Amino acid sequence: MAASIIGLLKPWTPRVVLVRWNRYNPYYLEPEIRKEVYNIPETELTAEEKEQRELKALRPIKAATNGMTSSVFSDPVLSKFVNMMMKGGDKVLAKSIMTQTMENIKRKQVEKYHKAPEEKREEIECNPYAIFHQALDNCKPVIGLASIQKGGKFYQVPIPLTDNRRRFLAMKWIITECRENKHRRTHLYEKLSQELLAASVKEGNVIKKKHELHKMAEANRAYAHYRWW
Amino acid sequence: MALYRLSFRLRQTVAYVRPLHTSGCGQQQGALAVESETRQEPFSIFRTLENDPACQSEKHVGQYYTLPSAHIHTLFPHGLPQRYQLQVKTFNEACVMVRQPALEVISCLKKADYSKPAPRFLFYGVKGSGKTMSLCHTVHFCSTQGWLVLHIPDAHLWVKNCKELLPSSYNASRFDQPLQASNWLRNFRVTNEHFLSKIKTRQRYVWTKREFTEEGRPLGELVDQGISRVKSSSDVVGAVMKELRLQSGQPEAGFRMAVAVDGINALWGKSTIKKEDKSPVSPEELTLVYNLKKMMKNDWCGGAVITALSQTGSLYTPSSAHLPQELLGEEGFDSMDPFVPVSVSNYSEKEFESCYLYYLDRHWLQHPQTRTEEGKKELIFLSNRNPSTLERLCAFL
Repeated sequence: MAASIIGLLKPWTPRVVLVRWNRYNPYYLEPEIRKEVYNIPETELTAEEKEQRELKALRPIKAATNGMTSSVFSDPVLSKFVNMMMKGGDKVLAKSIMTQTMENIKRKQVEKYHKAPEEKREEIECNPYAIFHQALDNCKPVIGLASIQKGGKFYQVPIPLTDNRRRFLAMKWIITECRENKHRRTHLYEKLSQELLAASVKEGNVIKKKHELHKMAEANRAYAHYRWW
Repeated sequence: MALYRLSFRLRQTVAYVRPLHTSGCGQQQGALAVESETRQEPFSIFRTLENDPACQSEKHVGQYYTLPSAHIHTLFPHGLPQRYQLQVKTFNEACVMVRQPALEVISCLKKADYSKPAPRFLFYGVKGSGKTMSLCHTVHFCSTQGWLVLHIPDAHLWVKNCKELLPSSYNASRFDQPLQASNWLRNFRVTNEHFLSKIKTRQRYVWTKREFTEEGRPLGELVDQGISRVKSSSDVVGAVMKELRLQSGQPEAGFRMAVAVDGINALWGKSTIKKEDKSPVSPEELTLVYNLKKMMKNDWCGGAVITALSQTGSLYTPSSAHLPQELLGEEGFDSMDPFVPVSVSNYSEKEFESCYLYYLDRHWLQHPQTRTEEGKKELIFLSNRNPSTLERLCAFL
């Protein structure tokens, strides 16, 4: 499948190289990671699923990527965030920063919980995953801007965003904000935990950035008809 | 009590003598047994209300008891592991699990004869199995019994990362470490406040041309001398150890001494400290280590030596080494021999259940999947019931 580069190998080139592309023959099928699918007994399968099973017995299957797990604790949104945080392919470091962030958030919240009086305890959210999802939802912009050329000039036109684009923008803003606008000597997990906790209650710089984008889109409402799709 | 585990030579020294400290609890235990069962019912299955280590027994194995929060700073100014200190801060309480190895050592201490040479105990086990926590549990027992506790939290800190190395004034071939010594003296003063005025020195110590400590002065003065005059603090540590060693065995002294050392394999290993001409310093050439080795010998009586191995901070040892023979080396093993080895293993099923319920109770396991059976099975699989791995795993779940 991959172009043969054996002929170009010099003595100092490592024999096992990482490939950046991932092009399979369309004949290959996707792998099924989830455990529950294999536990369904024969009788409960519909006709299509039985056909699919027989096809899987005959056709070759793509290799599962390293990021896929059958663990009950895996979360696709979290994996996407870890991949976006990753630099230079160092997933171990990115995952460890994420786990330290979760631990940090949980420690702060649980400490607050144990020190709070009985009435305030129900309002304190201790689950770091819930806080993460809530913060991400709060940071997602509803409407975006696109640069469209009309009559020699470029106008910022408000456009609807797809769900993937909104999630991507929210994650990107959180990561860049934590990397650039915080104090140099604090750890990234500390910066992330502060930002996520603030975003989950709709405070902080990322929420401000989202509001500014919304205001710009509202200001440029007049150019909305420049959009042709 | 596991007498069959003691090495043969030690069996002759630790004879069966009248129990010293169980008598108080033993008579009351029968009457209180019924009451304590009913008292524990409303609390929980993984906690016990028996906060006194002297009264804990096999039926409390796997249950958590609470260390009094007011006394933690005096009991353990420097003794607890880092992650555990974070946990204490987060949960707003300090709970320690009662486990079999610590109970064994505590029962040995209750029944030992203190007119014979000090018995030596060594906690060993795989990484993260709970050796330091068992040591802290035993130290808590010793403090509640009113013993003087000489707790060295990590001997590895004395053989690596030394910022200041002075040639010793007492002996030209040895080296002093003023920072580590003064730090340790400060923590020693916090732990043993009430002993400092009672114990008197037996000898005159001369520190410099103009500074000396007379005979018969209280120990507190000696310790203050070491903290204020940092240059002579290592020699002060040596003097303090010598005084306590001489006096603990005497019947008129009225106190018992517990020497608790974590990371004991540092004393016989290698050190990363270098002299000015870049030649390595062996641990014997350090005053602190030399004096501590003298404490480790069982030529004094009226107390006990409780130690724990540690591979984590050790230098030039493979990470798979956890047995005493591998970590102490030949020289260390021969100097520690005879000792009572106590194996600390991973959690049993009951202990794991207890830990799991404790984390649930403290709202530490937040991921919704951890409450399910599948999640619990995955936790057991990933951590192999190792206490520290489980703690790190539950930290982000």
